[in-house]
Amino acid sequence: MTKKYVMLADTVRCINCKACVVACRAEWETPMGYTRDWVKEVEWVQNDQPKVMLFPGRCQHCDDAPCIEACPSGAAYKRADGLVLQDNCICSGCELCVPACPYEARWLNPVTNTISKCTFCQPRIDKGLEPACVQTCVGRALIFGDMNDQESEVSKLLKEKEWVRLTTDEVNIGPNHYYYTAGEALPDEVMPKLHDRHLSGKTMEIVNPIGAIAIGGMLLTFLGAGVMKLIGRRNEVSTSENQEEK
Amino acid sequence: MSTQTHFDPSRRAFLGATAGGTALTIAGLPSQALARINAPHDPEKLKETTEVFGFCDMCYWRCGLKIRSRDGKAVKIDGNPEHPNNWGVVCGKGNAGLMVAYAPNRLKHPMKRVGKRGEGKWKQISWDEALDTTAKELLKVKKKYGPQALALIGHGSWEKPYHRLAHAFGTPNTTSPVFGLCCGPRGLSNMMIMGRNLTGNETLDLENCKYFLMMGRNITESLHNGETLGWVNGVANGAKVVYFDPRYSITASKADEYYAIRPLTDHAFLLAMINVVINEELYDKQFIAEYVVGFDELKQRVQKYTPEWAEPITEVPAKDIRRLAKEMAAKAPSVFVYSPRRLTRSSNDFGTGMSITILNTLFGVWGRKGGVFTPQKYKVPEIDLPEFEHATALRNDSGGDFNYEQPEIPLAHIQDESGKYHRADGAGVMGRWPIANAQYGLTNEMWRAMAEQKPYPIRALITAGGNGFLNSTNYDIIRKALETVDFYVAGDVIPNEMNMYADILLPEASYLERYDDLQVGGAREGYVAVRMPAMKPLHDTRDAWTICKQLADRMELGAYFPHDSIKELLDDRLKKAGSSLAEIEKVGILKIPADPAKNFPLDHGGKLKIKTPGGSTKAELIPGMLKQMGYDKALDYVEQVRPNEDEFHMTFGRIGFHTHARTQDNVWTADLMRENVLWIHPEPATKRGIKEGDLVKVTDRKGRDGEIKAKVTARIRKDTIFMVHGFGHWDKRMTTAYGQGVADSDLASYAVDPHVGSMSMGLSLVKVEKV
Repeated sequence: MTKKYVMLADTVRCINCKACVVACRAEWETPMGYTRDWVKEVEWVQNDQPKVMLFPGRCQHCDDAPCIEACPSGAAYKRADGLVLQDNCICSGCELCVPACPYEARWLNPVTNTISKCTFCQPRIDKGLEPACVQTCVGRALIFGDMNDQESEVSKLLKEKEWVRLTTDEVNIGPNHYYYTAGEALPDEVMPKLHDRHLSGKTMEIVNPIGAIAIGGMLLTFLGAGVMKLIGRRNEVSTSENQEEK
Repeated sequence: MSTQTHFDPSRRAFLGATAGGTALTIAGLPSQALARINAPHDPEKLKETTEVFGFCDMCYWRCGLKIRSRDGKAVKIDGNPEHPNNWGVVCGKGNAGLMVAYAPNRLKHPMKRVGKRGEGKWKQISWDEALDTTAKELLKVKKKYGPQALALIGHGSWEKPYHRLAHAFGTPNTTSPVFGLCCGPRGLSNMMIMGRNLTGNETLDLENCKYFLMMGRNITESLHNGETLGWVNGVANGAKVVYFDPRYSITASKADEYYAIRPLTDHAFLLAMINVVINEELYDKQFIAEYVVGFDELKQRVQKYTPEWAEPITEVPAKDIRRLAKEMAAKAPSVFVYSPRRLTRSSNDFGTGMSITILNTLFGVWGRKGGVFTPQKYKVPEIDLPEFEHATALRNDSGGDFNYEQPEIPLAHIQDESGKYHRADGAGVMGRWPIANAQYGLTNEMWRAMAEQKPYPIRALITAGGNGFLNSTNYDIIRKALETVDFYVAGDVIPNEMNMYADILLPEASYLERYDDLQVGGAREGYVAVRMPAMKPLHDTRDAWTICKQLADRMELGAYFPHDSIKELLDDRLKKAGSSLAEIEKVGILKIPADPAKNFPLDHGGKLKIKTPGGSTKAELIPGMLKQMGYDKALDYVEQVRPNEDEFHMTFGRIGFHTHARTQDNVWTADLMRENVLWIHPEPATKRGIKEGDLVKVTDRKGRDGEIKAKVTARIRKDTIFMVHGFGHWDKRMTTAYGQGVADSDLASYAVDPHVGSMSMGLSLVKVEKV
């Protein structure tokens, strides 16, 4: 059966130690100031009592991922097992996918000039390892696995507890990241938000045709440079691959 | 390694299906480019690595590690799943350990001071010159003043060879901050009453505990992986958490009940709990009858400490105190009153610590499931060495463990009958700090001894790691001590304010680049673990053992370092334990399996073995040894300082991704938090016109001050401010940490616990104003 990978975050077990953040940084050598995952500490006052909730987050690997739609080069793609991945060799670094993501999971890596994001540690899981953030998680708050496998820990946990996803009426795109909050309502700070600069298919329909043409023109201009860059990079990669084979 | 490429049909489908949106992209592309785009995707690769074992040096819990290396460089730190200190998990600090090795500001070469002390002017020298000079200067001091004129302060998982060197030199004056500046009063409390230590690596059956009464034990932020994971599991298993802290920490957010107790008054609350437990007969009667003495006397002494007495002092309602006592009793013995990790706060920490031990003992938690387990020890004998001058200076340690296995008999005078000097800090010395641990000493009092040259001259100082300024509180004393000694040599990996004063700087290899002596620990399993180098030293650095051996050889003390290399030492020790270095290097850790009959004797028809320092085979609720000295008065509550209307209690503590004062210059942990902020409640903030992010000035009663940004939050009492510990560095070599935030240590109080000699850092009262 096809796999369907999901990440569970038990916010009750999360302690905001940032182990996930630093482990990810070390595993994927992300540049300073940028991380593929995060922990949001949300605090507020309720009935005169302070409250704190912790939300570990990363790319939600949505079923209906707007980043893929926004990517003009085909670098953003979805694997059959649900992973939303990024092909660095053809990513032009145009950044159109960045505002497309309502979870702010994508960013331009200034070192490689391509888009970086969480891959659920695809290279690790393909080797049978856990994602780096899951392996290191001190409170065992992060649990990863195949929800189509009835024997998997995630399948069992999904049945055991009430899990929620970060969706709103406006943004409901099938995220594959689940959260357990012990019944606490999700704070607004962690909810997905449509970005003003996001040019989704839907936006295209709404704006008038002239607008659409204008946007199309803008895209073309944007891509002129990008396309040349990606061809170059592709050639580079095949050269280096050939060398490796020798 | 073959490149793994995944051909993914869904991607081709994407190109067709979403053509509407991306037609623009395809149009006009040359066919060569199209072919390139249509090639299989080329996602990220996992690069090949080799793996060695180690244990962590980022805090003092020392988790087991597996370190991945590539091309001779460490690239990722993972947890060792077999290690009982962490079961495979590693926190943010542990993961950031790589940046200790790769720190741009590391001490990279031996150096000698060329400017004034503390001025920060250095000249690079050879190892030979550094070691020759050090040996010469130490011998000069020894000749002129005697061996006791040397003090050693160590703080790290690699300090052990330095202690051995100092002991071989003949001084009793070796110390680590763990006692006087951190855990002393709580360790001593458990020792005096139960004959057990219960600090270092706590021996608590957290997973099975049903009720945690946590006295400011901020276990999620002052975190130790295995302990924190055990606690999280316990909570997930349904344990109730009642948390006391003037600040709503992350641990508070996990608690079922939270009390913003008035600062410094935990002792009053605990005495009232004892009162209720005794008067309402909520204690474990069988346990008390079999294992405890002093119950009736204790009953008399706590009669005055009613919940109604405690309520106005602590602001914890009397009815809640009664209820909590009953709730706990109902779950006993699977309950635990959790001491804060650092118990150097109030003016009577010893009384607070003893009250905690007494409550736990009344609930009969010792040797019981869900309570305190009895650890097992992996027996790894020490190597054979010549006798040391001062037996009291010896400590049975395993790379830095806090361990009271051999409680000292209080000593009489500064010199004993044969003319040997006792400790200058007074630890274990009658008439000074007789009950303070003489193996770890009182680091705070050692600094004072150096600064004042009393009770006898201390003319040379070795430091092995640590930061006397930021981990202590009395900067004038520290500075004076550092300026007074004839010679100061510092071994460390990173620069800091203290080693800035050194005459000679000995750069240590980081814990990823070296072997160290074995980690011998006691959990449910007994274990011994190894630290292996994950890479060659990046700079001209050496490991502590090699440095100390080379110094010993230069001072005719080579007999104390009889091996040719540390690997030989490890192999020698392991062979005595029936293994070898080659064997342990394959697995990282050797273990004796957990044994419920030994860990929880009382649940398996066994008996608890007790031996207190006073020689009792039963737990002494009021230790006889203390009564002889009149120190049992520590049980009684002492009024604590109160802020005036315009003042605040000054509190400080930990955050999960920084350790003490040693990670602020680590670029990865600094990326998570570069400066500390001052937590202040919205009400006093508004009164002072302070808004979130405003710069404020905080001033204590002694006139010490600092400027820091405000975090306006309801997560703190109105009469209290808080800041994360360890910031406010002023050593310019620490280019990341320099000038970031305020040093809480320069605002904390430096009073001394009257019985233990440890510091009382929480007595400081401060004013806050907008800048």
